[in-house]
Amino acid sequence: MKFSDEVLMAYADGELDPVQRAEVESAMASDPDVRRAIDRHRALALRVKAAYQGVLEEPLPAKLASLAGKPVAAPVIGLRAEREARRAQKAETALWRMPQWAAMAASLALGVMVGLFVLRGPSAPFEETAAGLMARGELDQALTRQLAANVGTGGPQVGISFRDHGGQYCRTFHVQQGTPLAGLACRSGEEWRVHVLAAAPSRAGGMRTAAAMPMAVLQAVDAAIEGEPLDAAAETAARDAGWQARQDMAE
Amino acid sequence: MSTPSPQDEFRSQLGELLPRLRRFARVITRNVQDADDLVQTAVEKALARAAQWRPDSRLDSWMFGIMKNAWIDEVRARRRRERIHAPEEAGAAVGDASAESRDIVLSIQAAMETLPEEQRLAVALVLVEGQSYRDAAGILGIPVGTLMSRLARGRATLQALLGEVQ
Repeated sequence: MKFSDEVLMAYADGELDPVQRAEVESAMASDPDVRRAIDRHRALALRVKAAYQGVLEEPLPAKLASLAGKPVAAPVIGLRAEREARRAQKAETALWRMPQWAAMAASLALGVMVGLFVLRGPSAPFEETAAGLMARGELDQALTRQLAANVGTGGPQVGISFRDHGGQYCRTFHVQQGTPLAGLACRSGEEWRVHVLAAAPSRAGGMRTAAAMPMAVLQAVDAAIEGEPLDAAAETAARDAGWQARQDMAE
Repeated sequence: MSTPSPQDEFRSQLGELLPRLRRFARVITRNVQDADDLVQTAVEKALARAAQWRPDSRLDSWMFGIMKNAWIDEVRARRRRERIHAPEEAGAAVGDASAESRDIVLSIQAAMETLPEEQRLAVALVLVEGQSYRDAAGILGIPVGTLMSRLARGRATLQALLGEVQ
């Protein structure tokens, strides 16, 4: 019997009724893939919960405590407790100020995430479709209209533009979706298909310097590029022509 | 001695919940300052509406619902103002936690930040706060099937970003 991922997830969360539960358990006994999927769900659930457990131990800010009638800062009495509270706060500051990319780069083999990275919602810059991960909304508009010379005021930023071996136009971009991301998108019909997406260094390094591009994106550019990146005039011309692949110009 | 008034009772139950409210807020706002502002807003709203709360219902679910609505309002207001929040930059000194556990904690939070609002809410309620699917769907005002699909999509993204556990 084949189960959807949602059913296996619900099993891992203890949300199935007894009949479905028994079905999944009998499948688990014979199919190691089913067991692995369930183990994965459980492991992820534990990790996510553990990641936020520390918040419960933090001393309450006085403003909140007094609002709800709690004795203010009760745990913070005496030098030792105070020092601990300070340390907790410092740790927390470090936790939240650490550049996100550094955190990701440190522990994730993030690299190329083509097709894995599903982001949805009204403002999501990407949509996973049958044809692949497509740029949407602001990102789609930036890729279609923005010239690299335009320094945008927030929102997605386009980097270099070039033609790939098949004559299609491709453009690198930076976008902030909770965390800074960078990627490479190529024209696919009237849309931009995102080929690579990776965590990017944040703005501190300069939005559009080559150094700010994650290795995964640079490698994808190297692999795809035909000739040299477009100069400003060629970029403008390509945009004005609607990014149509120009077979006659491709070598 | 007088018995505590219903208001005092309500206030004290709310006080007990504060650490969990802060945790939930931290997950959905992705930011310490926004999180505490959200908890404060929600507690003020709850105190003002204390009469609407039925003592036989769960205070945590009720509060999560208030917080969710307050946060969605805030996000919309910010979008209107086109003020997109960027995470704080610049590295600070590293805390005491062992490097290993810190990296893991950070990467999960970094991965959570990439989830769209609706998926992050589902993950926050079910995985972090341990709400049942039914309760979480109730808090978000959506059918259970919708909750499950948001939860499954959020988890798939997290899994892709985080990889297997060692």
